[in-house]
Amino acid sequence: MSANDTHPHHPAGRRPRISAGTARYLGAFRTPRGMIGGGLLLVMLLAALLAPVIFPGGVDMQTRENFQPPSLIHPFGTDEYGRDIFVRCIYALRISLSLVLVAVPLAMALGILMGLSGAVSRRLGEVCQRIFDIILGFPSLVLGICIVVAIGAGWLALAITILVFSLPQFGRLARGALLTEQTREYVLAAQVLGVPKRKVMTRHILPNTLDPLLVQASLSMIAGIFAEAALSIVGLGIQPPTPSLGTLLNVGIRYVYAQPMYTAGPIIMLLLLALAFNLIADALNAAVLNAKRT
Amino acid sequence: MLHFLAKRLPSVALMLVVTAVIAFLLPRLGGGDPAQVVAGSDATAEQVQAIREQMGLDRPLPVQFAEWVGQVATGDLGTSLISNRPVAQLIGARLGSTLELAVTATALMIVMGLGLGILAGITRKGAPRALLDGAISVLLATPPHVTGLILILIFGITWRLMPITGEVSVFDDPVRGFSYLIMPAFALALPQAAMIARLVDARMAQVRQEEFVDLAVAKGVPPRRILLSHVLRNSLGTAVIATGIRIGEILAGAVVIEAIFARQGLGMLAVTSISSRDYEVVQIIVLFAVVIAVLVHFASEILLAALDPRIRLDG
Repeated sequence: MSANDTHPHHPAGRRPRISAGTARYLGAFRTPRGMIGGGLLLVMLLAALLAPVIFPGGVDMQTRENFQPPSLIHPFGTDEYGRDIFVRCIYALRISLSLVLVAVPLAMALGILMGLSGAVSRRLGEVCQRIFDIILGFPSLVLGICIVVAIGAGWLALAITILVFSLPQFGRLARGALLTEQTREYVLAAQVLGVPKRKVMTRHILPNTLDPLLVQASLSMIAGIFAEAALSIVGLGIQPPTPSLGTLLNVGIRYVYAQPMYTAGPIIMLLLLALAFNLIADALNAAVLNAKRT
Repeated sequence: MLHFLAKRLPSVALMLVVTAVIAFLLPRLGGGDPAQVVAGSDATAEQVQAIREQMGLDRPLPVQFAEWVGQVATGDLGTSLISNRPVAQLIGARLGSTLELAVTATALMIVMGLGLGILAGITRKGAPRALLDGAISVLLATPPHVTGLILILIFGITWRLMPITGEVSVFDDPVRGFSYLIMPAFALALPQAAMIARLVDARMAQVRQEEFVDLAVAKGVPPRRILLSHVLRNSLGTAVIATGIRIGEILAGAVVIEAIFARQGLGMLAVTSISSRDYEVVQIIVLFAVVIAVLVHFASEILLAALDPRIRLDG
């Protein structure tokens, strides 16, 4: 453990420092914005997770009448086969949330790796930046179309599209943080004291990249949820009859005169999701700025 | 200027090459054997092999790629294997609809983006400022397809002011044509306009902090003049470059908007072609969409460099 011997003893020690960082992020959820956003997201997550328990009838349970107007039993009315649109919307949340909760953290991890690769070799860093430029040069939907053609429409294609598309933002933020932190005194000091490069990265630079990346992660979740809707509406995402917010809209728009709630319901869900993640992003941003000021 | 062009050209060229490679590979990635498709399902293995050789599919990929690029560059866009019609003809039939939509949306985007941006830029405090900020944020966060569906619900269903699906060419019947065009064009333009407004607003706030504005104030230049010839003039470069990027997004957004409003444009052609595995058509549409986006972006950078000597002389 020679590395530990040469490393100066941090006055606060390692453990308190990490928990202070986590506490700061948790503190974001004690502000009004964070509470509303976090609460809203929690409710939707629970509803999505517990959908089979709350609605044991499943998505295909039919009532006697189709196109019933909204009522207490069917808040969004019923669809062309007499199925409850609200239940289908809740089940659809499972797809939207599972997509972004898998794809965005993966994109974040990969983005950090690619963004920080510049520290290992300048050349590699440059190559990664060019890759980001190319991804950003593609209009978003065209990229999705290419991926759908290559691997076939479905959950996987959507997840990859969301991953590829949110990658450049994370990569650029990570690289930006690397470039500013690299020249700071404390990093130089650590280097002079002989702390191994890998340790400088994981202990000093990485934690400092997390602030902007977490805010970006909530924004990328919104983009991902909307991307699912866009690709599924045109029939290139989730395939009917599986209910996702996009496939519901795909069918719903055809019956918009008979049942406006068929279109309005999924839209309400989309906007609620966007609102929740937006509030969380705002709250995280404010918490991060506050912590910098003090 | 030449120096500036020389500096930017490699990345534009790289983008074009990558796009060409991806577009070329699309039919091959899509699976399915083109020779099998042409030969039909009850062809013998020898027949399929003969067709494969005739189409040149047995040669190495780089050779096929070079040949394909040569064909596209000389205007031969290939033939759809599904409908047996030339791709150029299929695209030509749909081009008008998408152009009408894209041109209207771009015009709306520029007018609304600059209007909102300048309005926000000169409204610095109070309730109007908060209102404008809120409106821009909401528009910015809502993508075209959601905006389009909300417009349909409000103007098409609740108030029944506009027809919601279908289209009539503005050249055949201007009034009815525009009534079909207005909602999809707004849906496409609003999020992009909000993006431009945000940039113009931020840039105006930034320019106000510059020393030459303080100097003008100290010299007693009237506020109106400061706004127009000092602040605004130095803020427009941002708008120019932002417009260039946004046009690519408008073209891509047209795919979903056409599906929602049932317009028979290029986006709809792309979607139906993917469903019917008509990859020869998809390939050309993807190629064109990205090439146009890249070239418009490049053109706006050149325009900006021409407007602003700092950019073309820098480094």
